[in-house]
Parts: sequence; structure tokens; C-alpha cells
Amino acid sequence: MASESPDFGRDIRPILAENCYHCHGPDEQAREAKLRLDTFEGATTGGASGPAIVPGKPAESELIARIFSSDGDDHMPPPSSKRVLTPDQKALLSEWIEEGANYEEHWAWQKPQRPGVPSAPDPSLVRNPVDSFLLRRLEQEGLSYSSEADPAVLLRRLFLDLIGLPPNPEDIQAFEGTWANSEEREKAYDETINRLLSSPRFGERWGRPWLDLARYADSNGFQADQLRPSWSYRDWVIRALNSNMPFDQFTIEQIAGDLLPGATLDQRVATGFHRTVTCNVEAGVSPEGNRVDQVIDRVNTTATVWLGVTLECAQCHDHKYDPFTMEDYYSFFDFFNHTPLEVQLPSNKTDVSHDFIGPYLDLPFTAEQQQQAKDHDDQIALLQQDRDDALESEEEAYLSWERQHSESAAQPLDWEILQVTKFSSTGGEHHDILEDGSVLLSGKVPNTTAYTVETRTTLPRISQLKLEALSNPMLPGNGPGRGDAQQPNFVLKEFTATLRDHESEIPIKLHRPQANFSQKNWDVAGLIDGRPSTGWAINPQFGKSHWATFELVNPIEQTSGTTLVFTLPQNWGKGRVIGNLRLSARSQVSRGSKLPADLIAILKNPADKRSEAQQKKLRAHFEKENPTIKKIDAEIARLKKQRNTIKANQTLVMVEMEKRRTTHILNRGEFLSPGERVRARTPAILTLSRKPNDETRPPDRLALAQWLVDRDNPLTARVAINRWWAELFGNGIVATLEDFGTQSPAPSHPDLLDWLAVEFMESGWDMKHLLRVMVSSQAYRQSSRITPELLEKDPRNLLLGRAPRFRLNAERIRDNALAISGLLSPKMFGKPVMPYQPPGLWRQTGRNEPKWLEEKDEDRWRRGIYIVYRRAAPYPSMVNFDAPDRAACSVARARTNTPNQALTLLNDPAFVEMALALADRILQESSSPENRVQHGFRLAVSRLPDSRESRIIDHLLHERLDHFTAHPKEAENLLSNPHFVYQPQTRNHLELAAWFYVASALLNLDETITKN
Amino acid sequence: MISSHLQNETRRLFLQKTGYGLGAAALSSLANADSAGAADGALPQSGLHHAAKAKRVIYIHLVGSPSHLDLFDYKPELQKRTGQLCPDEFFDTSKLAFIREQPNLLGTPKEDQFAFRKCGASGMELSNLLPHLQGVADELCLIKTLHTDQFNHAPSQMFLLTGFERFGRPSMGSWVSYGLGSENQNLPGFVVLITGQVLGAGNSAFGSGFLPTIHQGIEFRSKGDPVLYLSNPKGVSPGERKMVVDAVNDLNKEALADVGDPEIATRISQYEMAYRMQTSVPELMNIADEPQSIHEMYGTQPGKTSFANNCLLARRLVERDVRFVQLFDQGWDHHGSVFNSLPNKTRQVDKPIAALIRDLRERGLLDETLVIWSAEFGRTPMAQGAVGNGSGKTKAGRDHHKDAYSVWMAGGGCKGGHVHGATDELGYAIAHDPVHVHDFNATILHQLGIDHERLTFRYQGRQFRLTDVHGTVIKDILA
Repeated sequence: MASESPDFGRDIRPILAENCYHCHGPDEQAREAKLRLDTFEGATTGGASGPAIVPGKPAESELIARIFSSDGDDHMPPPSSKRVLTPDQKALLSEWIEEGANYEEHWAWQKPQRPGVPSAPDPSLVRNPVDSFLLRRLEQEGLSYSSEADPAVLLRRLFLDLIGLPPNPEDIQAFEGTWANSEEREKAYDETINRLLSSPRFGERWGRPWLDLARYADSNGFQADQLRPSWSYRDWVIRALNSNMPFDQFTIEQIAGDLLPGATLDQRVATGFHRTVTCNVEAGVSPEGNRVDQVIDRVNTTATVWLGVTLECAQCHDHKYDPFTMEDYYSFFDFFNHTPLEVQLPSNKTDVSHDFIGPYLDLPFTAEQQQQAKDHDDQIALLQQDRDDALESEEEAYLSWERQHSESAAQPLDWEILQVTKFSSTGGEHHDILEDGSVLLSGKVPNTTAYTVETRTTLPRISQLKLEALSNPMLPGNGPGRGDAQQPNFVLKEFTATLRDHESEIPIKLHRPQANFSQKNWDVAGLIDGRPSTGWAINPQFGKSHWATFELVNPIEQTSGTTLVFTLPQNWGKGRVIGNLRLSARSQVSRGSKLPADLIAILKNPADKRSEAQQKKLRAHFEKENPTIKKIDAEIARLKKQRNTIKANQTLVMVEMEKRRTTHILNRGEFLSPGERVRARTPAILTLSRKPNDETRPPDRLALAQWLVDRDNPLTARVAINRWWAELFGNGIVATLEDFGTQSPAPSHPDLLDWLAVEFMESGWDMKHLLRVMVSSQAYRQSSRITPELLEKDPRNLLLGRAPRFRLNAERIRDNALAISGLLSPKMFGKPVMPYQPPGLWRQTGRNEPKWLEEKDEDRWRRGIYIVYRRAAPYPSMVNFDAPDRAACSVARARTNTPNQALTLLNDPAFVEMALALADRILQESSSPENRVQHGFRLAVSRLPDSRESRIIDHLLHERLDHFTAHPKEAENLLSNPHFVYQPQTRNHLELAAWFYVASALLNLDETITKN
Repeated sequence: MISSHLQNETRRLFLQKTGYGLGAAALSSLANADSAGAADGALPQSGLHHAAKAKRVIYIHLVGSPSHLDLFDYKPELQKRTGQLCPDEFFDTSKLAFIREQPNLLGTPKEDQFAFRKCGASGMELSNLLPHLQGVADELCLIKTLHTDQFNHAPSQMFLLTGFERFGRPSMGSWVSYGLGSENQNLPGFVVLITGQVLGAGNSAFGSGFLPTIHQGIEFRSKGDPVLYLSNPKGVSPGERKMVVDAVNDLNKEALADVGDPEIATRISQYEMAYRMQTSVPELMNIADEPQSIHEMYGTQPGKTSFANNCLLARRLVERDVRFVQLFDQGWDHHGSVFNSLPNKTRQVDKPIAALIRDLRERGLLDETLVIWSAEFGRTPMAQGAVGNGSGKTKAGRDHHKDAYSVWMAGGGCKGGHVHGATDELGYAIAHDPVHVHDFNATILHQLGIDHERLTFRYQGRQFRLTDVHGTVIKDILA
């Protein structure tokens, strides 16, 4: 470096930013001595002590004097900052000022131009411009590419990178077969790329990093962490990637799909991107505070995902290093500030959680739901037909029913008072028969008594009897009892009636007792139950008349008049006896009594005078009572109820409110401290010719989204391709995938970055095209062997003198093992699945907790992207491989190497089951025992083992075979693991158990979980 | 050439990729090799910025937040005014989680069960609800003036434990593990023990945020496998497990020889460690081998899940040089019937915590082990619900209170029998010597030999630390 001039962006700005900008940077509030060093103007016009920098004259520059000063008070940076400049750094600053103190605009704020492609030292290594840029840089270090990888390695690399799954042995054989012929080889290579890019598995593999950015999860986060439906958004991402939706459209639909003219259902589902944000329903939370937190997350995530800048630093103060002010921040905030609250105070005041009220979107029925609905509708239609047929054949029954009821309704229904012909009592009281046909008791009030009443009537038919206990002003407290003016109750113990026919007395059987009122525990039914201890009383309904009616089990039909005798024992005591009573009778057909009054009224009308509505009513009643129809109707009702439970799935979406909020700067980032009002605009440093806030268009999310993917936006394309590059090559061209600001390290290959960014935009934001360019390069096709020279000169492989080699991420480790074992389910989309996880992990996380219901069918073997993501307890085996909790936007996952990972692959019952299936697969698919080791090894790592590797496996296998042959019960014990759902085909359990060990070892190899 | 930033990245990468035991070695060699490390923000600096008073931490977090006013901060005036309407300025619904109408004051009940007693040589006042803790009062350094910024559980737990109220930042234990590494080759540097439900902040309370996940808190469970996937599948014996591990490592050694990736060497050592953990962790968790006197002292019952068992496990963990042990105990959120619920909870924790302090002292471990009692916030001197006669039978509880509450430390270079700060006569606001959460956290790091301003990690273009841009070490409480 000594030979080169200091470069501001690469050498000087990092020193100034790290050590000076904190007090002399863009943040006006924090600025000391009115000096800013982040602009040429600021540094050369100076602050309190005059110009800090005099270009070309380090000796006259205050900055140089200060950094070399030995005086503690003058020295910069001040000792209290605990920042110290190294002698090299001081020398660099001095040299830079000497050469004119050239300040350049930070590269990332300038839009990328397509650079010229350099000529490479060895054109035979250049497959496309990617190689030209990389080789030129390697040449500067005296390095070049490594040799090309073996075809099997290369094919596995392509498969894992593009679809996240390994190739089949057949794929490998076919691919290797082309390798001898260079023309065939290139054709096969290109065809493989095309085939993989158009595989439906592509979106599942590339959806994962995007969903990390989108902090997609299936739960709210925080205290209770309830599940909520967003999986339709996850499916949207997979579909959009599979269809290679242009990245600009991909952006617009997720940020503002709802605001597009004539937004489609899919475009609205896409806005789930910003509804995946966490939501705190804890009851003490301010709904507005929660909303502001959510908007802050949306702002920060948008800035990180598309712009690769840490806008969040400007939330509480102007950015310390990058030119973003608080006003910039809250102006950006304004774009997102117009969606509704998502929680409200609980409807049930004692509830400890808020109600979740964020907007949902109903999804159309899935194919399965549609089928279910159709099945139900078809069945209902069939039953309806049955019903019509039944009605037709029952028509005569109806007509006869109608006739019969009409006749009985035509008969008089009024009660006829029974004429008292004789009254006697055991209590010695006096009685009078009044004009209204009732009997009034007077005189002595006995403790207990019993009345016997003989009556006569000329009614030709008697089907019902009525007893009235009447209120009367002559009685204490107006009756109806006699004993007590305060509590004029009566307690009648029994009510019996007999028919006197000549000299014989025939008991009359009564049933269906009814009363206008019965005292608690003294129900009218007690009058005819034959038990002397029960009876009828009316406390506290005193001073009112009461009645009881009874139906005759066998109605009496006598045209010559009837004599009835009643007895009424009242032996409760204390004079609780009836003071005024009356008896009546009437006739009615037995079933008529069941008809409601309004029907009887209709039936009283002559048949030809009934309106259509009245006739309908009669028919409806008949149908209700007809056993055949009743049965059909019950079945229809059951099906309709089931049909109604087929509910549309829902998903969370963004909805813009009609009335916009006003947005203010929030002092210290607190929603309770609003400051100056601001209006939607993008950060000043990133002002493009397209302004989302120009007069002609509303400054809404749609305008913002279009601005993000404007051809002039310097960041979006670079940030996107840099992340894909890192997915494939292990490191970003800009190492900090999350930050392109002035604090970011200089790009390792700035020209390559810009070339790719421009290529991306000019291809129509074609993601698959960019991936094709990257994996078609010779850089990608190198061997990943690490030589001592490479380890020494470029340990992180930033210059790509070899192909990358690194551990697969959590989902790919699972998917890869499932595919190797043959268990992988190809099922795509839909509600999240729950494969095996250790019991109890979800029980502990909060109230209203959902239950973990382990899938017992193929759903347990689906790809990791479909596993339910619960923020408080993500799927534990994936957490062990660095899967984030998705509580916040996550740009890059760590690649740790821990003992817990070994334990997971060895012992997690999910992987143990995969080992069983792999053992079974090897035994089933290999025709000869000699081939098995080779086949198993190739399934796991796509290549054949060398002789040493074969020996190690053979050793394990034979030890195990010998052991199980000697101890066959142990094989059975191993295979009877209760966690196994998979049913092996292999009959020979000794072999299967031995191969289980080999399979488990194969799934645990470093190479199996590594892309190399 | 490769810029210095990238060389630092390389070092960082190396640290990320090392196992539990390797981290410490890497850090100390780094500290020795690079004296300019302190000036270079990209480096994870040596944990030992100065001589450490404490080597380890046992951090007991009472989830939901106990009523400190009835345990540690005695307020006779509040007792006297029980049932009176609280002063107007106390009633600010934007700072209260549940109380919605101007509440009455609620003092500690007058029954003897709830009385405060002057304890030990120091005369520290502690509630009779903590009879065993009263016996070790001279070991406690009581801080009566902690205050926080958040008053809802999950954000406040994150604020206390990660220095930030939202998700995504590393927890204190992770920072410590990152800064100091682990001294035990076979156990994680940061172990979490939980009784009751997991707290609202979930795994984020002990997560590693943007730090490498090797530093996250690993929960040791008392039901099922203590560490997930620790036990072998049905029918696989330890010897048979060893066969698989040996075969895997033999094959990995072949790969290492072929491709030369140091990552493979690390993986080989991690498989060996995993196998050792299958013995060392169950040994650690098996408290049945403790003598009867210990079980009586702690109130432990082998095989049960209890807070007492976790206290004993904490001692066994620090004995094995685990750096940071965090206990979470759920069930302290007493919005109602506080005087009925509180004694039930103190009965569960009082005896084992006192036993832990005594046991550590007797083993000579207390001096270098910092024991902490903490919670996400305190509770209001105002009642939530009707006060009635204010006796122990009242149905009233206490709401969340962020402006002042009590926590304590013991051992690890803190003054014993010391009380720091005081609240006003009603226990509502701080009278003098406030301690902010950032100050509290800075002090804990300080005791471990860490300068909280220098333990940083570069992420998204800036240096992050546990205490954000705040925090002052509370010198007054240091021995």
C-alpha cells in the first residue's frame, strides 16, 4: 500500500468516521467546536480553532497538530473517548492532506455505471465478465484460479445452491457421462442450470434468505406469542421467485401492492411483507406505542433490505456517520404512518392481553376446500331431491292430517264450567256456590281439610280438565288461600277425578299437568303423581288467581251427560287451603293440544279461505313432524353446518387508511414526545430525479416503492446482487451485507459490484439471469481445496482463488438429509407444518399457547421452509444451526460450528428417523452388497468413496453386523424406536440395524452438511 | 492486499467458529498478540480490561417482578396512609399498565408475618417473608434505587437484559461469554435454568442477538434431555455412539487431509466434545450425589423441577467454571391478592437462595461469584383493586412501576451489608442516588473486569455495546 496514494473512501474516511465523526460529523446536536470533518467544506473552513485542514499543507493543518499533540487537553481524539490513532493512521492522514485532502462522495451514494471489462491474464479461464474482474484482482496478489472441480462435486454444488437439494445418483451419472467431451460438457452444464432455475424447488430454496430479511414468522412475538396467519405471504414469495418476477415488481408489490390500481388478490397478499412485524398484545402496552414501534420496524427493515443503510441510527439523533438526519428518518417514517392500529384494549376488561385487530384478507378456497365445499353442496342437493320425492309420496298423508286437524279445530274449544251439584269438606267450613260457578269457602279456617266436589256437565266429549284457585276480596289478602293475609298460600296435595257411571266410580287417568305458576319445589305435577308428600302451591304469587289443567289419557265421550267427582286433600297445615275454587272441562283432539295457537287459528278457517302463507305454515308444521322428512331435514342441517365450517383462510395485509395521520419527529424516538411536523420524502443524500414527493403524485408507499427500484437509485440493485453473491460465494463483495454506508468496508471488487448491478437492472431486474451469470463463471466452477498458500494469503477466500466451501444453513441441512434418506415430501405451500420436536418446548412460552401437534404423515418430512416459525420457540434443531428467531430483519446468518450441532445430527429423532430411512433405501436400491457402501456414500455426498473411506465404513458396518448377529434382540430394540413413523421395507432386521449406524454416520459427515 | 478491516474480520470469523472452550483461548491470545486492540473497534477486545473481582455470575431474575416494597424497601409512612387516595402526581396512566382510576395507597400489612426486621451486623431491614435471607443480610448489597425506561414485561425484560427494549440485541450473558469466553471445555459459557413459564421476552432474554450464536444462553432443562438431543436414541449405548462418532471423525479426517479446510478440524473437535457432554452434563445435572446436609440446606429433591434444585445446579455450574448462570423464576406478577401470593413465592425462593450464598461462601466461591437478585421493574405503592382494610387478606395487588425498585447483589467484590440509595417516604420516586439499568449493567461488567464502553461488537456499521451510549459504574457499592 505504501506505494499507492491514500484513497479517501478506502483509507481515510474509515479513520475519520471511527475516530472523529462522533463529535465532528453529520449529527448537529452532538457537534463539538462547530467543526465537522465529514465534508471538505466543513474541514477547510473550520470551527472554533480555525480550519482543521489546509489542503496540501499538513504542517498548517490544525487536525495534524492535534493528533500529534502530546498535550492531554489538546490531543485528539480526546483520551476520554478511549480512541487511539495508530502511527500508520496518523501518517496516512498527513499524506492525504499533503496530496490535497481530496474528499470524494461515498461510492454507494453514486449510481453505478457499467465499468469496462478488463482483459484477463489468462483468457482461457474467462467464461464471462465476472471472471475478468476476479482474475485481474487475483493477478495483483500473484494468484489465479484453482483447477476445475470434479463433475460430481460441481453438480452437487449447483443443486444445493440453486434448489437446496442434492442430485440423484442418476443425475450424477448422466452429468459425469458428458464430461469427457467438452462440447457435451458445456451443454450439460448450461442445461442443468436452466433445469434447476425452472424447478419449483428453486423458490423454496431462495425464499429462505428473503424470508429472513422479511422477518417472516407465524407468531406475534412478545409475551403470549400467539400464532397468526401469514403463510400465504410465504407462499407468495416462493411463487414470485419461481416465476422469476422482476425484482422491481417484486419490490413494488410487497411494499405497496395494495395501492396499485386494481390491485389483485396476490398483490395484496404480497403486502404481508410488512405485516410480519412483531406485535405486542401485552395488556399494559399502549396501542399507539405498539403501532409506532411497528412503523419504526417497517422503516428500518425497508432501509436495510433495499438500501443497505442503517437508517435506524437516525431514529433518536442525526446519524453519527452517514448523512441521514432525524428529519430524514421521520420523513421516511411518514410513508408508513397511515395504516390502522393493530391492537386495542381488551373487550373483556379482566383480560391480560389486548385484542388483535390488524387487517386480515380472506383468501379464496384452496383446491381441497373447494372440493370439500362441492362435496357438501352435492350431497345437500341430493338430499333436497329425496325430500321433494318424500313430500310427493306423503301428500296424501298431509291432506288427511290437514283434514283431521281442521275438523277438531272447528269444534268448540272454550272451557265449560262444571256445574257443582254437591260440595263437602272435612274441615267444618261453610261454603257458597257463586254465580260464576265457583265455590267460596268461609267461616272457620281449619288447619287441614279435604274437599269433595261433585259436578255435572252435558259436554259430549271431555279431554281436558281445569282447576282454578281464584282470588277474591272476601279472602284474607285476596286469597286464593285462606290461612294468612300476609301469605295467603294454599298447598293442594293431590287432585283426583272419577267418573260416576250409574253406581260405579271409574278413576280418570290424568296427564300433562300445566299451571300458570308453581311454587319452587311445589310443581303442579305433584298433584297427579300419587304421592301425598308432593303437591301444588303458589308462594309468592299471592292475591292472584291461578289455574292448573290436565289432559285425560282417555277422553270421555258421553252424549247423555256426565257426573264427575273431584277430591282435593289439603293437609299441609296452618290453613293453607283454597278459599275459592272452580272446575271446568273442554274437548279437544289429543294431538290438537300440541299445535301452537297460531296454527289452530289457521285451522279454524275453512280450508278454501286460508291464504298461501297460512297453507305454507301448515305444511311446514306437518313436515316438521313427519318422520321421513324430519330425518332428511336433520341430515341437511348437519351438512349445512359442516359446510359453514369450511372457512376461507386468511392472511395479514397492509391497508392504507383514508384519513392520513400527521407525522412528527419523535424526540428521542419516543412516541409521546412529538416534535416538528414532517412530510413524506426520501433521504436528502439519495435525491433522485424521481421524487416520491413531487407535486403530481401522492407521496405514499407506492411512490416510495417505485423510487426504491428507480434506475437511478444507487443502492437497491447493488444491495440485492451483493446478497445473492454472498449466498453463492460465501462473502459479499461488500462484506457488510447489511450496511453500504460510509462505515462499511470498501468493496473487494468495486467494478464487479457495479457491473453486476447494472447488468441486473438492464436485464429487467432479472434475478435468475444474475444467478445464471454467477454460476456460469469459471470462478464458480473451481475446486474448493484450500492450499497452504491460499490459506496464508486469503484465508477468508475474499478473492476467490478457489471455490467457496461452507456449512449449509439450517433449512438446507434438513432438506438435504431428507432428500438423501428418500423421505422428502415434495408437497408445496399451505399452512405451516409441525414435524417432530422434543415435547414441552411450546408449553412454557405463554398463555393462550397453541399446541404442538406432531405430523404423523408426509407433512413431517416437508422442507424446512414450511415448518411453523414461532418467535419465542423456533424449531430447535434449526436454531442449533443458526436459524434466527425472526423477531427482526436478519441479513446474514452466522455459520457456527458447535457440539450442539453434532448432538442434533446424531440424536434428534427427526434425523434418527432419516438415518433409518436411508439405511432402508440403501438396502432396497443396491442390487449387490458390494455396491451398498458406494451407493450410500454417493447418496450422501454425490461422489464415490476412495478406498480409505470405504475401509472406515466397512469397518463400522462389519462390527455392527457381527454384533447384531450375535445379539439379534438388540437390533429389534433399536428398530422399535417409538419416534419412528417411517415403515422400512427391509425384512432382514440385522442388516437394517447395522446399516442404520452407517447411515447415521453418513448424515453426520462434515462433507454432507457442507457445500464444497 | 487485504485491508486491515478484513484481517480483523478473519479473526472474528475464527472466534465465531470455535467451540465452547476454544473461545477463551482465542480471546486471551488475541489480547496478548494485539496490544493496540483497544483502539481497534473491529476487534472483540480482551475481556479483562482491568483486574476482575468476579469470575462468574449467578443472575436470578424473578419474572413478573416481585413487590420490592414488601420485601426490601420498608415504608412506614405508606403503611400509615394505606387506603388514602394517592397523590395526584402518582396517577399517570401513561406510566401504569393496568390501573385506570386514581388508586389508593397500599402499605405493607401490619401482621407480623409481613414485618421488617433489622438484620445482621449491618442492621439491614428485610421482610420476615425472607427469614433465611435475613440470616445472610451482611452478604447483601441492596440497591433501592434501580430505575428503568419500560413498564411492560417483555420490553422491560429486554431492556434490562439486553440494554434495548426491542428484539435483536445480545443479552448480558452473551456479552460476557463473548468477552471472556468459557473456562470449561465441556460446558457452554452461558447456561439458563428456568422454573415456570419462559418469560415474555422469550429466548431473546438470553439470546445472542447479532453476536455469534455460540454465545447464546443454553437452557439446561430439568425434564427430558437437559440439553436438547443429548441422549442417544433407543437402543444405542454410549459405546455404540462412540463408534459412530469415531467413524464420522475418521472420515472427516480424510476430508481434512484432502481439502485442508480448518473448519473440518473444528468439527472433529466438536464431535468429541459432544460425546463428552453426553457424560458431563448428566453428571452435572445429577444432584442426587450431593450429601443429605446439602439437600436439607437448599430444600432440594432430586428428580423434581424446582427453583431450589436450580439454585443447587447453579452452584454446581459455577464450580465447573461456567461463566454466566441465569435463573428465571416465573410467577411474581402480583396484580391481585399480592399479600396472599407473595408469601407463596418467597417460600419457594428464600431458603434456596440463602443456602446458595452460604454454600458458595463455605466453598470459598462467593468472593469470585457475583450473585444477583433482579427483576424487570418494581411495583407501585398504589393498590390495584380495592384496598379494604389493607390487611394481608386484601384482594388488592400492585401494578408495574419503573421509576424505583430494589435489587441486590452478593459476593463478587460488592460491599456486604450495604444499602445504596433511598426512595421517598412512599416509595414512589428516588430520593437520592439513582441507578439506571445501564449503570447496573455497567457495574456488573465492571466486576467481571470488563469496561462496558470497550466491550463492543461491530454490526451494521457501528459499534454496539450492552449499555448503548450510557452507563456509569456505581462505585459506591464496590468493596
